Amino acid sequence: MTDALQAWSFKILVWALYVFLLAPLVCIIVVSFNYEPIQSFPPASWSLRWYGEALRNTGFTHGTLVSAMVALCATLAATPLGVLAAIGLWSSRSRFKPAIEALFLAPIVVPGLVTGISLLVALAAIEVRVAPVRLFVGHVLIVMPYVIRTTLASLAQLDPALKEAAETLGASNRQVLMKIILPLIRPGIVAGMIFGFILSFDDVNVSLFLVDARTTTLPIAVMSYLQYSFDPSVAAISSLLIAVTFIITIALERSFGLKRLFAGN
Amino acid sequence: MAGGADLEGTLEMTSAATAGPSSKAGPRRTPPLQSSAALAIPACIVVVAALLVPLAYVLLLSLNRSAPGVVDLNGSFTLANYTRFLSSSFYLRVLGKTVYLAAMTTALCATFGSILALAIWRAPARFRGLIIIVVISPLLVSIVTRTFGWMIVLGDNGLINTTLMTLGVIRTPLHLMFTDGAVIVGLLHVFLPLMVLPILTALDRIDPNVPQAANTLGAGRFTTATQVILPLATPGLVSGITIVFSLAMSSYITPALMGGPDSGMITTLIYQQFVVTFNWQFGAVLVAILLAVSLMLVGAILFETGRRTRKWMVRR
Repeated sequence: MTDALQAWSFKILVWALYVFLLAPLVCIIVVSFNYEPIQSFPPASWSLRWYGEALRNTGFTHGTLVSAMVALCATLAATPLGVLAAIGLWSSRSRFKPAIEALFLAPIVVPGLVTGISLLVALAAIEVRVAPVRLFVGHVLIVMPYVIRTTLASLAQLDPALKEAAETLGASNRQVLMKIILPLIRPGIVAGMIFGFILSFDDVNVSLFLVDARTTTLPIAVMSYLQYSFDPSVAAISSLLIAVTFIITIALERSFGLKRLFAGN
Repeated sequence: MAGGADLEGTLEMTSAATAGPSSKAGPRRTPPLQSSAALAIPACIVVVAALLVPLAYVLLLSLNRSAPGVVDLNGSFTLANYTRFLSSSFYLRVLGKTVYLAAMTTALCATFGSILALAIWRAPARFRGLIIIVVISPLLVSIVTRTFGWMIVLGDNGLINTTLMTLGVIRTPLHLMFTDGAVIVGLLHVFLPLMVLPILTALDRIDPNVPQAANTLGAGRFTTATQVILPLATPGLVSGITIVFSLAMSSYITPALMGGPDSGMITTLIYQQFVVTFNWQFGAVLVAILLAVSLMLVGAILFETGRRTRKWMVRR
């Protein structure tokens, strides 16, 4: 009897937590179809007008462009660095290995805010005050650890016999790398790239100190918009982002498995 | 950045060094890709040059006399900025508030995160992917979007107030937004996934025979969960607690958008010093204190759990 009661209260609690996790996102999507300029829940009348408003808002469209460019450049730069680092760590028996692993944890362990400030200060000291450059460097630091992590996860699942077979058959190390290892770990690399891109696109903490008046990323444009107005165009642009991110995420879960992205090893 | 050139250079170098001898001297018995730790050098350079050196520079800057508008480091060092922080009751109160909000968030995350992780662990395999997407969903949308969602839920015309007023529970809306409670709810939402995932990883390592044995020996589901399974998941719980606590200490957006006038955390002050008053030296002090307090408290958590685990092992 008490066992059944405990099981039921556990179930109810778990469902309450699912609702807690999803409620804000669902509310944003519902409010984005509101007609009135004042947000109320649930909306009294429905329309798509705020999607039009959001797409006409130059702050949002320009911010989207900046965020997409920064995320793309950072991902393209961080991927070769991260993949090489992961292959190096995986195949090396160097005694520096734990130190290198710890070094690659640093961008995750150091709070984003502190990373942003450090880059702002250090780049100002060498007279670099160009927002796109600052953002690029900061976002390479965001993307790289995730590429390293997913690549390492793929490498860990690689059957060592394949590599040994290729070596026995006379393949050089370079051929083993290019023809055996890289094709086999491609899903892990792609997952890391996609996830790094999403994190970079959504980032606020690192970017907060690196943007300037002319170059602002989308999340920061939305945040400054929120500070003086509260109309549903923010809900509309947010809904668009939620939709795009979820499509990518479901594809990612199907192809790679999300737990491995975060949970290490 | 100069990373591109370095990268190619290192790749050429390593492949020449490793591939060269074996292709010429035939099947010599060399451990494959032995010098491959060198492949990690470009990425190491990026982390050191773009993160560790700048961070060290900021910490040095905190030892310069504070001078609004001056951004360069000079050679005369002083502890005056630290004295200013430690002798002001205002700054110490903000630090206390930061630790309090982070600790509350971490405690709630640990409780609910364990429950969610257990639920995912027990769920049938075909639902697992779906549940993981639900749990991870807060991580995949921008923190601004998430905070905005909570403004809709908790606002005066929001979901909770409208529901309660329609049901006739309350007449005037409750002021839920712009309070410490709102900040904790927002942070809990943001960090819950980061607690669930490490616990889940630890749970997945448990031998399924262990809970079965507990069952056979007469333990109920609740007893098995609290006395057998959760202690075995402690490593995951501890790593979740350290991640969530240090991230909560340094969160800026959620307190800035959801907090009230007195919910300012140390990050709020950091933003003001760097962006509004341009007193970078004092801002650097705040960064140093934030990092030091986070590290100390996380260290204390790790030490204490380590001690308890050892005790527990000895007792068995």
